[in-house]
Amino acid sequence: MLEGVNRIGVHEWEIPVGYVAGMRVPGRIFLSESLGRTLEPGAVQQLANVATLPGILKHSLAMPDIHWGYGFPIGGVAAFSVDEGVISPGGVGFDINCGVRLLTTPLQEKDVSGRRDLIEELFRAVPTGVGAKSALKVSSRSLEGMMAKGAQWAVGAGYGVERDLRRCEEGGFMKAADSRTVSDKAKQRGIPQGGTLGSGNHFLEVQVVREIFDPDAAKAFGLTLGQVCCMIHCGSRGLGHQICTDHLKTLESATKKYHITIPDRQLACAPITSPEGMAYFSAMAAAANYAWANRQMITHTTRQVLSKMFKVEYDEMPLMYDVAHNVAKMEEHVVDGTRMKVCVHRKGATRSFGPGAADLPTDLSSIGQPVIIPGSMGTSSFILRGTRTAMERTFGSTCHGAGRIMSRTQAKKMKSGREIVANLLKEGIIVRAHSENAIADEAPEVYKSSDEVVNVVHEVGISRLVARLSPLGVIKG
Amino acid sequence: MSFEEISHTADVKIRARAPTLEALFSETFKALMQVMYGATRRGGILREIRIESPDNESLLADFLSEVLFVSEVEGLVFLSARISINGSRLTAELTGEPFDHVRHCGGSEVKGISYSGLSITHDANGYMLDIIFDV
Repeated sequence: MLEGVNRIGVHEWEIPVGYVAGMRVPGRIFLSESLGRTLEPGAVQQLANVATLPGILKHSLAMPDIHWGYGFPIGGVAAFSVDEGVISPGGVGFDINCGVRLLTTPLQEKDVSGRRDLIEELFRAVPTGVGAKSALKVSSRSLEGMMAKGAQWAVGAGYGVERDLRRCEEGGFMKAADSRTVSDKAKQRGIPQGGTLGSGNHFLEVQVVREIFDPDAAKAFGLTLGQVCCMIHCGSRGLGHQICTDHLKTLESATKKYHITIPDRQLACAPITSPEGMAYFSAMAAAANYAWANRQMITHTTRQVLSKMFKVEYDEMPLMYDVAHNVAKMEEHVVDGTRMKVCVHRKGATRSFGPGAADLPTDLSSIGQPVIIPGSMGTSSFILRGTRTAMERTFGSTCHGAGRIMSRTQAKKMKSGREIVANLLKEGIIVRAHSENAIADEAPEVYKSSDEVVNVVHEVGISRLVARLSPLGVIKG
Repeated sequence: MSFEEISHTADVKIRARAPTLEALFSETFKALMQVMYGATRRGGILREIRIESPDNESLLADFLSEVLFVSEVEGLVFLSARISINGSRLTAELTGEPFDHVRHCGGSEVKGISYSGLSITHDANGYMLDIIFDV
């Protein structure tokens, strides 16, 4: 383990105050010893930098998929006092509400295994990759709806059913959204991209439930062994990227105006209750809503493809759940014995609310929130459930994915996209993307093992394993 | 004048060197276009961008953010840029072409220009910078 990082438990490490100047609280990382070997000094530095921000509560936290990002590390979680704390776009990222959802189907593995035509049809129907524009026409009025009401707008516009909304974090939209804080430039970028997947690590994957660890929770989530599901991973597209860019600039001035000292310009921030802080929060919420609407529109397209190809009824494909990975939220948590409203930043982390928590659908209240952890291309994804331990220890948060360990430059030197596609096909996994380059960037080897990451959060107890899904086919940007 | 991609776990880190600040900005701009759209790009369609920002790092980040905006909303892929900088003001004349699904689909969408690790330095050999593009 890196120098200056102290072990305080089997899977728990502390970055003491003083690791960088001005830390207000210690840093805490949940990590196994073997994952610790891939921990980068840059990521630890970023975790310590977050601990210098005003109003931070308890710890600057990192999940086991921690890696070097910008501003916060990826896998970083921090909660701030609403009265004394700050809000920072560096704690959310450019891709606001990048998130993931799982759509269940009544199909079995034998129905779709080896069906290249299904993957081709999904690839044709869902716009992916750089420069992709939507076939679903979004008017400027619809854009307002997407930003104000998120998935609820999408369902109202015919892109889903009411039940979908009960299976989204926040019911599929944040009420704080205010499109007056969103620039015309952001809106211009949002109109042509509604219903598009994007590029990079975004994907739509056809998967099969391969293993069930917790039968009661799996039943409550609607998962059965051998069942085919679709996982959709994408975010707020150019609209969210522009909102982050715009508000980063405003908040940089605000950082100086409110005399806040920050160790990294990407951590530009403002007091949560300041006009600048509230404007960012309202715009971020609008982008988060756009992302929920976007995932709902892609869900609709996916359901249409499956309906047409397999004669499955639209309402036979319930949404299991939808979670945000990059977001700041106002939530109530117990801090030092007192229940208080805090602003939780999750940057590459998933909400993991335990049984009895607010915002859970009533039928899942005794189980906990479904948590969706996508694996890297070709590897297992996992479904977990939120826990009371997460509420007590991590402001109701857990990991979000496997976490990269290798750069794109290294990845490209290792294997070509063509080789990767051929290898995955041998394992029965069909990959479709616009370019081989995009596939080489996301080779399975460039990520930490998702099994090991989820084992850590399971053992620490900040979420518990429910099921494992393995890929049958994937479309990528 | 040159740029290279430096190993970075999650994103794309570029190191560029050039004899003048204008050339440094121009190289970084080319790096951005190459990351997004690959090396096969043509000129022809002209666009002008004007930016005013308090320091060199902000001027560069704001310029590249504006390029991301123009490129996306107009569907343009740029070949190169002629840049002039006068104190806190930048003017860039860009030449490019419409996005082509066949030639330009091999890249990675850049979500934003990060200030983390952004530093422009100057010594007897000229200017150098490191910059991270969020992909």
